Amino acid sequence: MRAHMSVIKVLSARRTIVLAAAVAIAAAGCSSSSSSSTSSTGSSSTPASTSSATSSASASTVSTSQCGSKPGQAASGTPINLGSIVTDSPQANFTDIANMAQAYFNCVNANGGINGHPIKYVIQKEQINASQIAALAKQLVQTDHVVGIVGNTSIIECSVDHSYWESLGFYIIDSGIAPECYSTSNSAAVNMGPRYSSDGAVQYALSQHVSKIVFDQSNVPGTAYIAGGPNALATAAHVPIQDVATNVPISDANSVAIQLVDAAGQNGAVVLNFTPPDALVILEAAQKLHIEGHVKLWGCSTPCNTDFLAKSLGPSWNGKLFVNAELTPPDATNTATMNLYKAILSQYGSAVSGGVGSFSQMGFVEAELMVKALESVNGDYTVASVNAAIKGLKDVNTGMLCQSWTYGSYSLHIPNNEDYTVTPSNGQMTMAPNGTCTPISAVDPQIAQYRSQAGTAPADPTST
Amino acid sequence: MPSWAELEQFLVSGLALGGVYALSGVGLVVLYRATGVLYLAFGAVGAMGAFIAFEMIQSGTPGWSAWIVCVLFGGVVTLVYGMIFGPPLAGRDPVVRAVATLGLTLILFGIMDLVWTVTGGRVRSISLPTDNGGFTVLGLQVTWTQVIALGGGVVLTVGTAAFLRYTKLGTAMRAMANDREITATLGVPVRRVEAAAWFGCGILAGIAGLLLADLVQLDSTTLTFLVISSLAAALIARLRSIAVTFVAAIVIGVIHDLLTPFTALTNYRDMTPFVLAAIALLWASRHRTVMTRSGEEA
Repeated sequence: MRAHMSVIKVLSARRTIVLAAAVAIAAAGCSSSSSSSTSSTGSSSTPASTSSATSSASASTVSTSQCGSKPGQAASGTPINLGSIVTDSPQANFTDIANMAQAYFNCVNANGGINGHPIKYVIQKEQINASQIAALAKQLVQTDHVVGIVGNTSIIECSVDHSYWESLGFYIIDSGIAPECYSTSNSAAVNMGPRYSSDGAVQYALSQHVSKIVFDQSNVPGTAYIAGGPNALATAAHVPIQDVATNVPISDANSVAIQLVDAAGQNGAVVLNFTPPDALVILEAAQKLHIEGHVKLWGCSTPCNTDFLAKSLGPSWNGKLFVNAELTPPDATNTATMNLYKAILSQYGSAVSGGVGSFSQMGFVEAELMVKALESVNGDYTVASVNAAIKGLKDVNTGMLCQSWTYGSYSLHIPNNEDYTVTPSNGQMTMAPNGTCTPISAVDPQIAQYRSQAGTAPADPTST
Repeated sequence: MPSWAELEQFLVSGLALGGVYALSGVGLVVLYRATGVLYLAFGAVGAMGAFIAFEMIQSGTPGWSAWIVCVLFGGVVTLVYGMIFGPPLAGRDPVVRAVATLGLTLILFGIMDLVWTVTGGRVRSISLPTDNGGFTVLGLQVTWTQVIALGGGVVLTVGTAAFLRYTKLGTAMRAMANDREITATLGVPVRRVEAAAWFGCGILAGIAGLLLADLVQLDSTTLTFLVISSLAAALIARLRSIAVTFVAAIVIGVIHDLLTPFTALTNYRDMTPFVLAAIALLWASRHRTVMTRSGEEA
């Protein structure tokens, strides 16, 4: 009997191994097919390929060597350690931002570095776990000995770590999501984040004289903070606004779309604040039900600003959906900075899976700002010297934002507070009518508070 | 209080949602009745098949061949799982057998998360040609895909019930689900019958995955765990009656959507499947209805 059981166990183990091997082979097969389709720039069937083609075209005309002070000469000095914490989970993945910053630093390192010093960039990935995030911050400081933090993009990192960074004198350059990324003294984002981006989307809808706003976002903690801005704007314009919270992931988009359209009415606007997949499923549901035209317009915060979405939606949304864009629209822009960004992405950005888009643009700008700060340091690169340089960044023309970018000594930081509006057109996001740089209204009390401290930054002439 | 005119639209969309639940719920019950296994990987298998079809379509493969691959992927993966794990687990408790399929679910879910990442604003969707046609009911467009989902559920319900009742293979499947050992003793080729049941269920998972990727969204989390809501319909039918599962799924979908315009309830409407399942189970227990492993009422 015991011998029989042993035989069964051996057979079971063998079967398990066979299954594991089969799964591994299947995974390998899928991986290779996936990567080959991504790298297939000749295909016109995906927006990714379109973006890659655009990127390649720009790369051919721009040399990446201009990203460093000594073209073609690799940096060989002692490294300057920088760190980053990004969310990498099934619910949200922001690794493209840090990966693009890494691409920029690789370019700098290959072209002279920072006064001969290469940048060593440590990217820590977290799974929306507060204790893990706190531990990673300590690891970056105590084990990796970083002297600066750049490229942080996390659902909760700002909330968890901002006190720690303040206590050590770190001034973070990040992509903000949590309220503390904007409302604290030691964090300055290159993007607007969900609240101010939603402000921008609502503001555009109001400019089109809609009779009502229906503002829909995920039913998760913290959304009341985001809704505060759009509600203030609509109320000041004497336009009724209705907040809707939708459970995610969305399993029944049809009822959500009907609910939103019914609530907005014929002359109203539906404004969405979701991740691209959830926004897409609502918009597609409206399209399939043929009710997208039952409202005057649809709006969306920045996450919808992706060619993937424009391509998926099709032409019925051209001039019907208006998306807030926090950074210069990349497809139709032909500036030196935009071409350098595309060239670096093409040459060094193999890890940036999303290609050209707002995520990689953010990573580019954050790395660009950090390099400017490091170049201004005199003497050793220490926590004190590097962070003083970061804090001293003032009126920097990034080439990617409406305004110049400033850190400064303020109790809160919303340095990006002017935006674009784009609309889908033939599978790409293009500038909407009257969609060029528009200041976010100071009716939002937090914008008013920031401008009272920092003033209004001058326009960035290099971004258009 | 919403007017009837407002509710009418949600009635239509609720029927479509019910069709979505019915597709998965009926598939679950079919396999349970044939093998005695609650196949929790039903959603994940279909989802992965849909992702593979998506990649094939993106790389220029004709849609029809990608759809066939999606359906066959469901059949082959389920067959392989059933042939490897079915016999060793045949004598184990039903809960153990169900949890084992949860293992397959998590493996497939992990692979999908690894291969089809969501970074960079990447969105994916599958549109079937049947999305482009349809008819209007109460101001809403009803696509042929929705009709196929609902009609497919009806056909599946009637066809499977007839298959299990009137065919030799169906009878063998039911006998095997009751008692594998006795069925084998009676000369039924249990391995072949099991293989047919697993493969058939996998094919259903593939078809459901393709339709749900179009009707719901091409997202690994949503499609993998949609099976939980469908499970409620199967539980209401106590994993026995395919017809009751279908009706329960439709009722769940309709009630779910009818709750949407009620402001106080709208955020809780996702609880509908579980609340209805709990009520049904409580009602069943009050009537001293206890399901045994064989599916017979005591």
